[in-house]
Amino acid sequence: MKHALHKMNPSVKFLLITICMFTMAFFFDPWTPFVFWIGILVLQLLFSRIDWKKWLLFMLPFFVTAFGYFWTTLVFAEDQSGPVIWSIWNVHVTETQLNHALSLSFRVLAFSSLSLLFALTTNPTTFIMSLMQQLKLSPKIAYGVMVGYQFLPVLKDEFMHIGQAQRLRGITQEKNAFQRLLGTRRVLIPMLAGAVRKAERAAFSMEARGFTGERRSSYFQVIKVGKIDTALAVVFLLVLVLSCTNRLWLDF
Amino acid sequence: MLNSWKLKEIVLMSLFAVVFGIVYLLFVHVGNIWAGFIGPIAYEWIFGIWFIVSIICMYIIRKPGAAVVSETIAAAIEVLLGNAVGPRLILSGLIQGLGAEAVFAATRYKRFDLWVLMLAGVGSSVFSFVYGYFLGGFAVYSPGYVALMLGIRILSGAMIAGLGGKALSDGLLATGSLRGYAISRSKKGEVRA
Repeated sequence: MKHALHKMNPSVKFLLITICMFTMAFFFDPWTPFVFWIGILVLQLLFSRIDWKKWLLFMLPFFVTAFGYFWTTLVFAEDQSGPVIWSIWNVHVTETQLNHALSLSFRVLAFSSLSLLFALTTNPTTFIMSLMQQLKLSPKIAYGVMVGYQFLPVLKDEFMHIGQAQRLRGITQEKNAFQRLLGTRRVLIPMLAGAVRKAERAAFSMEARGFTGERRSSYFQVIKVGKIDTALAVVFLLVLVLSCTNRLWLDF
Repeated sequence: MLNSWKLKEIVLMSLFAVVFGIVYLLFVHVGNIWAGFIGPIAYEWIFGIWFIVSIICMYIIRKPGAAVVSETIAAAIEVLLGNAVGPRLILSGLIQGLGAEAVFAATRYKRFDLWVLMLAGVGSSVFSFVYGYFLGGFAVYSPGYVALMLGIRILSGAMIAGLGGKALSDGLLATGSLRGYAISRSKKGEVRA
């Protein structure tokens, strides 16, 4: 039970999350995204083993964003009908406005929990392999992405080395934020030049070892769609339907 | 479409995607914090940075699909890096890439001057705005506010992605590492190999 979300096929998970998000985009009442958000949290609690401290750390910026959506909607909302329930200085908040604001904020929270659910329970390599095996992604692109992913630590080191080398030669960091932004060009260009050379070398050695980019009939790491995926898909869609029909069973 | 692609071009896009994936994520965090104070309009100023990879790759490789594939790969890499915005980034990357691709396709992949690159940035801005309008629920905002958001995003797309992308690629071309890609062939006026 506790491993279900981790074992789920990444492509199926990806498709389900996409469906859920697009459905949520049609709702502008506060309850639907709220109920959905709670549903996602319950799913996560039941079917995954994630580090909730890490989860909270990742979610923190989204709480800030949700708050930003909340007050912007209060101030800039189009539909200002309904009774006024709040007045601060010259801003009169109506019920419709408050509902829209709450809806958008909960939508931000629901979307980010949904994304975190994916991010914290999916192995990146398995995800790419599954995209290639289930969703027919071209092997050329799939393995190309994997190469890039493997180079990540190398590029991180290079980023540091370039910075250190430039400091040795007496280039100091500007204090002005705008100048610093322009200064990133000095680091980016050597990094990209290095990336071009690495890409050429990697592609050359892949081809030298017989990689043609054609679809294979068998894979070393086989990723399947199983019963667990069907079961979890039903649960996901149930949460979605329950939150969309909250008017029928939620009475306030 | 992919048959005409060389493996080194795909790996190049992937490595660029990693470099810019890090930059993109940095800006996502900057945008998130800002958005807490000034709302969703915070993202608009810096939106152009998220289109830059499609413009750079198209400018360098000059093959149909370079914009949309590179932007989607960049989004996928962002997801692989394990960030909280998660899998929906892949979709937004695809849509942003399509916006730029549409502009290049309209010129039949023959013109790659500054104006076309800036227009491609605008194309990404418009496409991504329509998507964001739907998913972010911008329909509740007043039309003036939405127009302001769109205006800033278009400006950001043209300036950061178009102008910035060209400046970066030209700087890269000057290092001489791009020999063997379409961008240096056209400079010398040779026939396409």
